This record gives sequence, C-alpha cells and structure tokens, in this order.
Amino acid sequence: MSNTYTVAAYFIYLPIALVLTWLVAKTLFQNGLIFMRDIFFGREEMARATTALFKSGFYLLNVGFALYILKIYDVLTGMQDTIEVLSTKIGGFAIYLGIMLFFNLYLFFRGKKASRQKRLEASNATAATPQS
Amino acid sequence: MNLNISAYIAFVFLMVFIIVYVGRYFYTNGRVFIISLLKGNVSLADSVNRLLLAGYYLLNIGYTFLKLKSWEKINTLEAWCSSLAVNIGTLILILAFMHYGNMLAIYYLSKSNPITHKLFQS
Repeated sequence: MSNTYTVAAYFIYLPIALVLTWLVAKTLFQNGLIFMRDIFFGREEMARATTALFKSGFYLLNVGFALYILKIYDVLTGMQDTIEVLSTKIGGFAIYLGIMLFFNLYLFFRGKKASRQKRLEASNATAATPQS
Repeated sequence: MNLNISAYIAFVFLMVFIIVYVGRYFYTNGRVFIISLLKGNVSLADSVNRLLLAGYYLLNIGYTFLKLKSWEKINTLEAWCSSLAVNIGTLILILAFMHYGNMLAIYYLSKSNPITHKLFQS
C-alpha cells in the first residue's frame, strides 16, 4: 500500500522549498525596492507597485515550480534512498532559485541602465533647445 | 469518501483561495499602471481594472473546475500528495506566465504610446 518514506519525503521537501522561496524573495525585493526607486525616479507609488508585481510573479513562478517538481518517481525503500532523493530535489531547486535570483537582478540592472539613458537624453534635449 | 473526492475538495478550495488572493493583489497594485496607460482617466481606469479582475476570476476558476475531469485515479496516500501538488503547481505556473505576459503587455503598450512612455520613464 502507501509508501511511508515517500509521504515523509514530500512533507519534508515542501516546507523546505517554500521557506527557501520566501527567504530568497524577501532578500531580493527588500533590496529591489531601492533599484525601483532609482528607475522610477521620485515616483514612489509606481516603484512600490512594480516591486509588488515582480514579487507576486516571483512567488507564483517559484512556488508553482516547487510544487510541479514535487513528485518522486523512484520507489523509496529506506532511509538512505530518502535522503539521497531529497537532497537531489532540494539542491536542484536551490540552484534553480539562484538562477532566478540572478535573472531578476539582471532585469533590475537593465531597467536602471535604461532609465539613466532616458534621463540623460531628456536633460540633453532640454539643454540643447534654447528656452523661449 | 475516496481519495479522489478528497483531492478534488482540497484542490478546489486551495485554488479558489490562491486565485482570489492573487487577484486582489494584482487589482490593487496594477491600478497605477492602468491609470498611467489611460493618461490619468481615473474612473475609466477603475472600471477597466474591475472588468479585468472579473475576467481573470472567470478564466482561472473555470479552468480549475475543468481540471477535475481529467484527474488520474488515486490509490495511495503518496499519489494523493503528488497529484494534488503537481496539479496545483501547474495551475500556479499558468498564473505566473499569464502574469508575466500581462506585465510585458503593459510595458509594450506604454512603449508604443509616447506620452505614457515618458510618464513611465521620467
């Protein structure tokens, strides 16, 4: 009948994956708000809303993925199997989270660069045209 | 009550809760963007926002219920856990991709409109 090792593995994997996602999202978006303030220069409401939307997207994507890869296909026969399969799953998920973290950071830096470019162009344009 | 039916009940309750929670979150945070896309027309933006929310609920809750038809047969407790988790995971991933699609759509719409683009970037 039902395999207790597999059920135990699910109940160990799920909290670890969710807490990991929560920790990564917390650190990423606490620091992301500073980037957003820089991108939406002085527009606090817009910066907050964008951070919130990115945060919800991050949670949805990663919690969804964590649940999606939960299923263990091997038949677990003992403690050793359980530990091996669990560590592979959690390690793989942590690597995936790391890649996602760097992808989000890349987006932040790109936005920062684009907004700085825009501001430079705008200040050049106002400087070039004589004020009437 | 067999395992399939309990999985259905857990699935529907969890998914409706997640969809409603996430929908409220998008509704409150997306408002600024719709206002800036509609050039500050607040009353129009609010009604567009409410219609978008209604459409989102209908689409996703409808899909949640459709999913019950094609559920695998569950015999064991571990199959219960894994099928519930994989199905919820798939639906949350669909929500995530829809969300990123919407953010991209807002970005490109604002880009194609020079007035709002300036509002976004300045």
